[in-house]
Amino acid sequence: MIYCLFGIVLVISLYTARHYWFTLNRLFGFQRHPYIDTDTANWPQVTILVAAHNEEKVVANILAALMNVNYPADRMMVVPVNDRSTDRTREIIDSFVEKHPGRIRPFHRTGGKGGKAAALKDAMEMVETEVILIFDADYIPGSGLIKQLVAPFFDPEVGGVMGRVVPLNVGTNLLTRLLDLERSGGYQVDQQARMNLHLVPQHGGTVAGVRLSALREIGGWNDKSLTEDTDLTYRLLLNGWQTVYQNRSECYEEVPETWPVRIKQIMRWAKGHNQALAAYGLHLLFGKHRATLRERIDGTLLLGVYAMAPVTLIGWLLALGVFYEGVVPLHGIIALFAFTAYAAVGNFAAFFEIAAAVRLDYTRQRVCLLPFLVLGFAVSIFSVSTAFVSQVTAPITGAKFHWDKTERFRTTP
Amino acid sequence: MVPLLPAIAEVRLKRDAQPLDVIQQYGGDIRHFAHGFRRVATRLQPQLQECVRSGATATGTLPDGDEFVLLGSADESFFVPATRKDSTWRSVVAAGADLVLPEGLTFAKEIYAAGDLTGGERSTFRAILGEKDIHLQRASKVIRWAHAAGRFRAEHDCDLFGRISSDQEVQLQSGCVFQRVGAPVIVAGFSDTAAIQSPSQAMEADADATPVPPGRTLYDGDLEIRAGEVFLGSVVTRGKLHIGAGAHVFGSVKSNGHMTIDSGVSVNGSLVGGMTAHVGSNCRIGGPVLAERGMVIESGTQCGSARNPTTVAAPTIELEEGVVVFGSLWARNEGRVVPKA
Repeated sequence: MIYCLFGIVLVISLYTARHYWFTLNRLFGFQRHPYIDTDTANWPQVTILVAAHNEEKVVANILAALMNVNYPADRMMVVPVNDRSTDRTREIIDSFVEKHPGRIRPFHRTGGKGGKAAALKDAMEMVETEVILIFDADYIPGSGLIKQLVAPFFDPEVGGVMGRVVPLNVGTNLLTRLLDLERSGGYQVDQQARMNLHLVPQHGGTVAGVRLSALREIGGWNDKSLTEDTDLTYRLLLNGWQTVYQNRSECYEEVPETWPVRIKQIMRWAKGHNQALAAYGLHLLFGKHRATLRERIDGTLLLGVYAMAPVTLIGWLLALGVFYEGVVPLHGIIALFAFTAYAAVGNFAAFFEIAAAVRLDYTRQRVCLLPFLVLGFAVSIFSVSTAFVSQVTAPITGAKFHWDKTERFRTTP
Repeated sequence: MVPLLPAIAEVRLKRDAQPLDVIQQYGGDIRHFAHGFRRVATRLQPQLQECVRSGATATGTLPDGDEFVLLGSADESFFVPATRKDSTWRSVVAAGADLVLPEGLTFAKEIYAAGDLTGGERSTFRAILGEKDIHLQRASKVIRWAHAAGRFRAEHDCDLFGRISSDQEVQLQSGCVFQRVGAPVIVAGFSDTAAIQSPSQAMEADADATPVPPGRTLYDGDLEIRAGEVFLGSVVTRGKLHIGAGAHVFGSVKSNGHMTIDSGVSVNGSLVGGMTAHVGSNCRIGGPVLAERGMVIESGTQCGSARNPTTVAAPTIELEEGVVVFGSLWARNEGRVVPKA
């Protein structure tokens, strides 16, 4: 039991060190934005897929925004992927098609397998361009965003591109404010540090792009995955394609406003991520493929982030077990130092990362909310652990994975 | 509870609960500030035209509190009183005709010229909008931006911070330092641009006639493409890359290590360097030319073409006289034009 506990402490310490490495890199390291200055080019033809499943509250916003971007109109085609919607989504899309002839080619899907990956897979029959951009329907791209997301594809090593997600409904309640902080940490620090350090920036499946030839090379969208973005990231990586992150390519999104919706969302992410861990983890770390050593290590750590929640819970249980068994793993002053060091440095890592992100964003008062993140972490750790248990026990219980769409809250379509 | 008080206060008061400021309508146009100042100049047009008709000058105050002076006709002598004091002209200047400025003066506010603008040597300009040509003399400085609807020319040793743009052409003499430049044609050194467009058109014709396979060839180590070799498709190397003289790549090129391109190389697509890139003389690059650490481009090389303008970007860029870029130049730290070796 004590060796298991030591192992868990070691892994947690590894993630703690990683948090610090990323944060210090963002604060003091060389920042990579290699494509952001590409403002003039012979812009390629691009297809913009807008994934929409019952999105009547938001789909008009994104279509209107896409009609106003500064990308050459004759070189972009917007394809709303209307995935079996039962609300007014189809009607709204068709009204835009009528208003903007030749610029929007809708893909109305009425049957087939559920889920975004399955919908995107079917929609590929509409795609002929080498560059594909993907947005979820609740996003609102700004005028210059499309050029920014296309620019990295001039680099022949780039297979995928990811932009930065910025919550729009920040001020709604405590949850949205905490999610705003988490997003800041995740993108402003985590993703950009991975970009800086030539590690593995993650494709997020929205505000994102993929190269058609790369997608074909890796076998297209995986409709068995609950998180097609994570799955895509790793298949690109294993085949020697880079996914790059553009921190300055920002786009508004809507974050969940209620805890049940948030819990559902994070459980889906956890299950999808764990699927990828099972599918690619060992092969990534030890297999023969095109990823570099640092990509192998970081990629594996990234795959393991959602598995860390149950591992941490197990660690707590083991610590209790060890205590009641009367085993003392560390003695005297060493125990005191270890405990103090972890309390001061270890627990602080994630908060430090988010505080640094908030500073990099030039915001001020929102950093005061940091203590409440404990609440968000507590909900996450139990939700993610529940998801993990349900996944592990699925072969026994016979539970099937299914894709849960995230509910929207916008009131003005 | 005390440590939580700031958090509770923030939840209740929502002092910082707005979304981050993502600029929705800014497309990154190099002329952004010029367009903004043109709106100011447009509002001054009726008074300015009156000054042009009468040959008089007028003064006033803009809504933001800045003073302005309108010049119906003026030459260097108008600014002489300022040169005698502290060499700083503190009001916005709008000229209805050609404008010739004295040397050694600092213009702390924007200048608008309806005609040609000729600066004096060692002058400093905050911002200039010229409806025709702008010609800056030796050792001048632009602090924020300058835009010419006609040609923009800067003599030796000018420091051009911020944005320099033209609707026709930018020419920068050796010793000029730049950050961001945009124009249909950008020439390092002065030359006849009519003569430099035909080779790129020839390359475009080549590119149109040769089918390029999609995807790319990936090399894990260093790579050399031999002199005179023709490479079909894009190439990516994780080490250093050397392309020998006269080679032709019908695709794009990426190197994660240092990249050396010898003279006379043609690349139809983009050239992307993960570290530094050295592009030799008389090369032709069709797509964007990007390097993450720094770039040197030798004389006679052309990037982009009149039909397909492109971007050349790196933290530091060194251009020899005789380099031509069709489109954009962007050196975040410093770009410099150097004499031909």
